[in-house]
Order: sequence, then C-alpha cells, then structure tokens
Amino acid sequence: MKPIPERFRVAKKTLLFDKFMNNFIVVGGLGIILAVFGIFIFILAEIIPLFDKAEVKQSTVFEAKLPANRVIGLGVDEWCELPVAILDDASLLYTDLLGTRGTFEKKLPLDASDKLTCVNYVARKQELIVGTNDGRVAVAELKYATNFLPSGQRVIEPDVQLGEMYPVLDAKTAVTLADFGGKSESQLILAVGTTNGKQIVKGVTLKQKRSLFGKGKVEVDTDYDFSNQVKGTVKDIDVSIFGESFMLTMEDGTLQFFAKEGETFPLRQIIKPFESFADKEIVKGEYLLGDATFVVSNKNGDIIGYSSYLAKGAKNIQFAHTKTFEKIPGVLKHFTSCLRNKAFLIAGEKYASIRYGTTEDTRWEKKLDFDIQSIALSGKYEKMLFMDSEGRLHKYDITDHHPESGFQAFFGKIWYEGQPEADYIWQSTGGTDDFEPKLSLIPLIIGSLKGTFYALLFAVPISLIAALYTSQFVTPDVKRIVKPTVEIMASLPSVVLGFLAALWLAPIVDRQVPSFLLMIIVVPTIVLFFGWLWQQFPVYIRVKLPVGMEFAIAIPLIFLGCYLCTLIGPEVEKIFFVVTDPTTGKKVADFRLWWPETMGIPYTQRNALVVGFVMGFAVIPIIFTISEDAMSNVPKSLRSGSLALGASRWQTAINIVLPTAAAGIFSAVMIGFGRAVGETMIVVMATGNTAVMDMNIFSGMRTLSANTAVEIPEAPQHSTLYRGLFLGAMVLFLITFAVNTIAEVMRQKLRERYKTVE
Amino acid sequence: MNKMTKNTTNGTKEVASEKPDYIKVDNFSFYYGSAKVLHSLNLDIPYKKVTAFIGPSGCGKSTLLRNLNRMNDLVDGIKHEGDIRVDGESIYDPFLEVISLRKRIGMVFQKSNPFPKTIYENVVYSLRIAGRNSKSELDTVVEKSLRGAALWDEVKDRLHESALGMSGGQMQRLCIARAIANKPEILLMDEPCSALDPIATAKVEELIHELKTEFTIVIVTHNMQQAARVSDRTAFFYLGKLIEYDKTEQLFMSPKVKQTEDYVSGRFG
Repeated sequence: MKPIPERFRVAKKTLLFDKFMNNFIVVGGLGIILAVFGIFIFILAEIIPLFDKAEVKQSTVFEAKLPANRVIGLGVDEWCELPVAILDDASLLYTDLLGTRGTFEKKLPLDASDKLTCVNYVARKQELIVGTNDGRVAVAELKYATNFLPSGQRVIEPDVQLGEMYPVLDAKTAVTLADFGGKSESQLILAVGTTNGKQIVKGVTLKQKRSLFGKGKVEVDTDYDFSNQVKGTVKDIDVSIFGESFMLTMEDGTLQFFAKEGETFPLRQIIKPFESFADKEIVKGEYLLGDATFVVSNKNGDIIGYSSYLAKGAKNIQFAHTKTFEKIPGVLKHFTSCLRNKAFLIAGEKYASIRYGTTEDTRWEKKLDFDIQSIALSGKYEKMLFMDSEGRLHKYDITDHHPESGFQAFFGKIWYEGQPEADYIWQSTGGTDDFEPKLSLIPLIIGSLKGTFYALLFAVPISLIAALYTSQFVTPDVKRIVKPTVEIMASLPSVVLGFLAALWLAPIVDRQVPSFLLMIIVVPTIVLFFGWLWQQFPVYIRVKLPVGMEFAIAIPLIFLGCYLCTLIGPEVEKIFFVVTDPTTGKKVADFRLWWPETMGIPYTQRNALVVGFVMGFAVIPIIFTISEDAMSNVPKSLRSGSLALGASRWQTAINIVLPTAAAGIFSAVMIGFGRAVGETMIVVMATGNTAVMDMNIFSGMRTLSANTAVEIPEAPQHSTLYRGLFLGAMVLFLITFAVNTIAEVMRQKLRERYKTVE
Repeated sequence: MNKMTKNTTNGTKEVASEKPDYIKVDNFSFYYGSAKVLHSLNLDIPYKKVTAFIGPSGCGKSTLLRNLNRMNDLVDGIKHEGDIRVDGESIYDPFLEVISLRKRIGMVFQKSNPFPKTIYENVVYSLRIAGRNSKSELDTVVEKSLRGAALWDEVKDRLHESALGMSGGQMQRLCIARAIANKPEILLMDEPCSALDPIATAKVEELIHELKTEFTIVIVTHNMQQAARVSDRTAFFYLGKLIEYDKTEQLFMSPKVKQTEDYVSGRFG
C-alpha cells in the first residue's frame, strides 16, 4: 500500500473522539430507556401484590385429644398460641401449642347450684354467655393476659372474667338461647326460653352508673318482653356489639331485626333472605366486623350478605341484600368473622374458605382431609385453627396482606356498608377500627378527567386563537414581545398558581359568580363585535392603524367589558337568581343558593370553574407556544400563494395555515392534556379534594395526582392504601400513555395528509 | 433556435398595444428598512403583452414585480416613494382594498407552491374564498383553467387526488391554472421556470405565449434566452435602476446602453 499523503490523513484523535461520542450517545439513550423501565417495574412490583390471593400453609397438627363431640366453640389469642375449647358445660380447655403446659382446664367460677341450660360462645366478641335453668344469664369474657418474661419471652395466660348473673327470664323458664352486647351506657342481654310450650323472648338492659368517683356498678335498667312481637320460632339470636339492636334468625327462614328507639326496641324489619332461592331455610347467620353486615347461609351452601344503611330521608336504618358470595359445596357448618377486617372464615364438612365481605372475594378455599368440628381465626388475621373429630388441632398460617383489595375493590361498583346503593367511592381511611376502606379509583379517574376537561375547555380555544393571531396577524415586532411573555407564564410554579386560585381567585369568584358567567359570554362577544365594527369603518380610517395592531383598540374594550360585567353581575343576580334562604326564610339573590336549589347539584367555593381557569392558565403557555411554532412554520410560500390569490388574512389562516399546521396543533393540545391530567399542586390546593363523581362545574373534584399527593403521607409502607396509590399512579400513567399513543398515530396521519412540498 | 426565430418574427409583426401605459410605474423608489433597493423607476407596461424584467441577482426586478400586487406589504419595515398605477388607478390608494387588488393581479411564484389539497381544490381556491361554491361553476372553471394551463389532459382523471403527487413541471402549471382561475387582468410571474427542467420549461413558455391573448403578463427571468423567446418588451435592471427598456428584439439585437450589451451578450451577470 502506498503511503497516504499527510494532507489526506485523519488524525487519530478525531477518530477516537468520534468513536467515543458514538458509544457515549448509545449508552445515554439506553440508560434513559432502562431508567423508564426501572420506574415501570418498580411501580408494577408495588401493584402486583394487590391482586394476590391469600396464601395459606399448614404449620402444625397438635394432638390435643380434646373431647370433640362436646366442644361448642374454639377461641384463640392474637398469636394463636393458647387456644381454648369451650365445652358444652362451659368448662374451658386451654391447649398450650408452644410451651410445655399441655392441655389444662379452667372452670368458670359458677355456683354449684347453677344448672346451665345454655352455653353460647361468640368469637367476634370473645364472650361466653351462659344461661341457667332458672332464667338467669351471665357473661364471661374470655380474654388473654400477655406477659413478657425478663428474657423477652412472651407468656400468655388465660384471663377469664365472669360477670354477674342477671335474671332475664322468669325463675321457672330455662334459658335455651342467650346473647349479650354493648358497653357501659347501653348493654343488652337477650335470652330465649320455653314455658308451657310457649316461646319466651326477653331482654334486660344494663347501665353502668357513673359518678364523681368513676365508673360505678352495673345495674339492671329496664326489662323487655319481646315474646309477642317475635313472629315464629327463634333459631338463633345475635345482639349487636353496641347493644342497640339485635337480629333474630327464625326457623321459617326469616330474619327479624329489632333496634333501639328511645327506651323501646321495636321490630324494624323482617328480611326474607332466601326468598328467591331453592332452599329458604337459614342454617347460619352471623355479623361481620362492625356489625353492619349480616351474612346468612342456607342448606344448599348459598351465602349472601345483608348490610344496614340509612335511606335518604329515612329515620331508621334498614338492611338490604348487598353481597352474594360464591356458593360452597355442602352445608355451611362453621362461621367466624375476623376481628381486624371484613374477612370471615367458613367451613363445611371438610371444605374451608376465607371470604372477604366488602368485595365478595374468595381469598382462599380448600377441601381439607379431616372432618372439621370447630374453627377459629386469630385476631391478627394471621393464623387459623381447625379442630377435627379426633380432637386434634390443625394450625394454619395465613399470608394475606391485602384482603380488601382486588380488581372489584378498585374498579367495581360496590354496595358498601351504610350506603343506600352500590356506588364507586373513594374513602380510604375512617375514624374507627371497623371502618370499611372504600378504594374505588373510578371517582378519581373521573375527577382527573373533569379537571382536565374544564382546563382544556378554557385553555384550548384561548391558546389556539392566540397562537393563530400571533403567528398570522400581528406585526413581527409585537410577536417578538408576546411570545416570550407567554412562555414566561409557563415558568410560574404551579404551587403559586394553586395558592392564588385557592386564596385569591376562589373567594372572588365565589362572591361574584354571575359576573364571571357574564364575562364568559361578554368577552368573546366584544371581540367579535369589534372585529365586525372595524370592518365597517372606511378604508382611510383603517389605514391609520398599521395592519396587525388592531388589538391595541380591542384590549381596552375587553377590560371595559369585564368591568361592566362586575357592575351588571349583582343586578343580574337580583333578577334571575333569587331563592328563599332556608335559614331566615327571606328572599335573597344569591347564585350560590340558587344553583343547588334549581339544578339539584351542589355548589362549593373550590369548584371546577376556578380550577379550570387556573389550570388553564398553566396549560395555555404550552399549547400556545407549540401551536404558534407549528403555525409559523407553515411555509411562507403557501401563505403568499393564498394571499396573492386575493384571500384575506383570515381566509389564509383558516384555509391554509390551520390545516397545514394541524399535526403540530394537535400535538400541542395533547401535550397540554398531558400537563393538565398530571397537574398536582393546583388541584390539591384549589379543588377541595372531595372525591365526588360528577361533571358539575360548581363542585370540586379529587384527581389521581392530587390523591396521591394528599394520601401518601398517611399510607403506611406496603399497606393496601400505599399500593393502591401506586395503582392510581399507574392508571394515570396508562391514561397519558394511551392518549399520547392515539395522539401520535393521529398526528402522523395528519402530517401525511397535509404534508407540504419542501 | 426555432422558437427564437418564431418569436423574433412575431416581434417584428407586433401590433401596437391598445393601452401602452396600462401599468404605469411613476418615479417609484422602494426601501427595505434604510436600504434603498429601487431608485426612481419610470416604466410603462402595455396591455395584453408580455413584459420581461431581466438583470443580475439583486438588481430589484423581483422587488418591483412583488410591488405590483403589493405582496411586499408582508415584509417588515418597508417604505416607498412615487406611485404605481394600474389602468390609471393608484395601487396605493387608501380607498383600495389590497385584497381586491390581488384578485385583479394574479401571481405565479418562483417555486411552485400548491396547497396541500386536491388538484381540484387548488384550482378553485380563489373562487371558494370569494364564496362561489356552485358545483357546476367550479367544474367549468377547473376544466377551463387546467386547459388554459395545458394540464387538463394530464390530470383530468385524478382531479381529486393530492396536488403534491404531481411532477415539478405539472405543479408549476397547476399554480398558473390556479392563478388564472379567477380571470385576473394581469399575471405576474416570478422566475416561473427557474426550478424546472428544459422540457417543462418549454411547456410553460408555450403556455405564456397563449396566455398573452387574455392577460397582461409581467415575467421576471434570469434566463435571457427565455426573455427573448417569450416577451414582447424587456426591461434591464441593474443595482435598482432601470438601465434600458425597449422592445425585446431591439434590446437584444441593438442595445443602446453599454451595460445592457455587456449583460445580454453574456459578458457579465
């Protein structure tokens, strides 16, 4: 090879640098893709556990040798270390599953003369109710005392406290069924017995006296006789945990609900749960945590739930069929509800299953290889215990971190407890332990779309018309000032806008709603009218103003119009928006009262009008600047071509510029949409954050983004709420992703259609 | 060469125009900002003749042309002195709508600029913006204009396809068809063939020849052969001044000014 002359040689440095930069750019590009995927995978990893079912593992089988046929119930401590089997004579057999104590017995401190005719263990209250042959009832609390040894070891001791014997039925009637519920001020003992073939249903309320020296003695307050009110034969009784109502399960397949009203307990509702089912008999009925949902089952294994709610305008709560659970094979024999959430454990002959009340979900089910005689679910919803016919105890570990979640919980319509109908509701936390989390993302998605809709409704026309005007009509001098000014608007932090919206604009709009509504009509009218009027002026007047400076006259007119609106607004209010003030009964002119009264939908100060306006303010610069670029980039030759044919500026803009710039304008609107849908600070501050589901312009909203911002500090890591918020983030991402993809496809189509010769 | 002869013969037999000063450029000066680009021009353009503006780049010939229909109004910071009159009326008359002026004076640009619409819609654009939408009228105009632009036979079967699928020569003829659709009185052509190949150029030149019977045509060209072939009169500009203006034959065969002679004989430019 001939040596290459010096002047044709390439320096090694140039080649090396070129190679390095090539690789550097490749690495950078891949890095970005990886980072995006990394975030995606992280979010997915947070979300996926939400859709897991419960995982159940058998841990131990304990040869407790319990007298299986005499056991009427199983109780457990929080950790499932010292279960108790309650025998039909009210003796308690504790079994130490971890330590060395084995099985030991504990008796209730009853008098020898007490002949028990009723022993009822209620797992959800951890109470044992005993009734005697002479009509008395006592309540024993089967609690546990947890002590820690100096070594740190946990020792659990039974803590049984037997209450006083209260005479409920008369001395000649033996108690066959008894239950108790309530705390201090309102406590109810209910008992059922039979005298001379007649069913007696009686109750007593107890009251704990309070004095300056603290809590006093519990005393019998009032006696009740329900015998004549109860229709049919009582099969089972359930007093609610607050002692203010009770549910009777009848032999004829009905439920009879009694609730306290003043000093009486009238019969409120007779429910026929299985009326439309093949088998109408109720074999089992129990409350779930919170005592707002009553779950019943028939012989065919159908399981349905009834929840209480207060109908609109009604005074008393009532029950309605709200839940239908998956059927079980065979008859439901055992039922125990969870003390922590709305889950419940059910069992038939061999089949066992965990269901979740809110979502009707089957968390776990299995056919076990032994006959189930008794079941228990630990307070922490981590262990469960089965006793078989040989008296063995089978202990299972439950891993179910998110029983209340699932597709139905986030996207389905659910009839929640206390609600008059099935609905989409977001209310993640509540004041009480038995609160039912409502995690529907639908109101948040609607909220996001609502905020975006009103923002774009305001921003798109204004920014597109502004862009058209700036790019096609004003002189280049004006454009040089206007464009950067609008772009500076984009750099306003949204927290500032949100602050202004919430504390400055919202109260002003609130005071003068009619004025602002007028402005929405008046301002565009002024502009159009001015345009028409200007055309009516003779040419020699018009030429005095340089072409493209017409706005200089229009702007003061617009301000004048706005000012006039603020003057006219209150007058308009006095004519059109007069209502009777419900508090004073006088006629007042107030739009804020008129709107809900006339339209039947609420009015709030932090509403979509304010948000639309301020969020529109945040979106305008983006849409404006991108669409202005697109319009300015329409080849000059096309504009000249149109103008040379005698088209006016407006005709050129509409017929040539807009179609040719359509792809760019479309992108601008879509980018504006993306900004609005993800906007957080403005909506957090100016919407009121109520997760309502409507498109009412005078009510607020809660968007997905605001929801995440507001609730993430309240969400314990890896809780259902925490993961649910990530799910919300994912939904938000998917919305923008879908919209952007559709937008890109449409943009390409538009570009193809209106491509120009270059 | 053949054409040249034909034109020259034509030129000698030329009948005098009925209005020799149909467009009158009267002591016209023009400024871009502070730069004076046209210096006190005086020029009469006759009715229904082809007048060519020639001269080296930057001599102001296009500027003058674009002033005739006030397309220069779109440019920032312009100023003019003197006057231009079309058929006795000043185009700077404050009572005159510039839009109606442009309807009267059509224009074909150096680079063909069909709109991103169908061939049909391109042709009828000037009618549409005037609010004339009757289907039968538009159909007639499309056929007439496309025939006038010698394009009808090539595109009659794809009138409703995009104009951007045409060849460069076809596009330029489409622009001519578009310009004549509304029957203007004057047709301005700004180097209409500069981007075309020789065959397309020949077609456009032939077309100009035919259009002359209906329109007063002013054409700016870089190509002196073209000016000689198509025009009846030629004006030679240099550095914003009109150096010589005469019948085409006269200007090319026996120029009076030395500069013109140097330019047309190819000694500079």
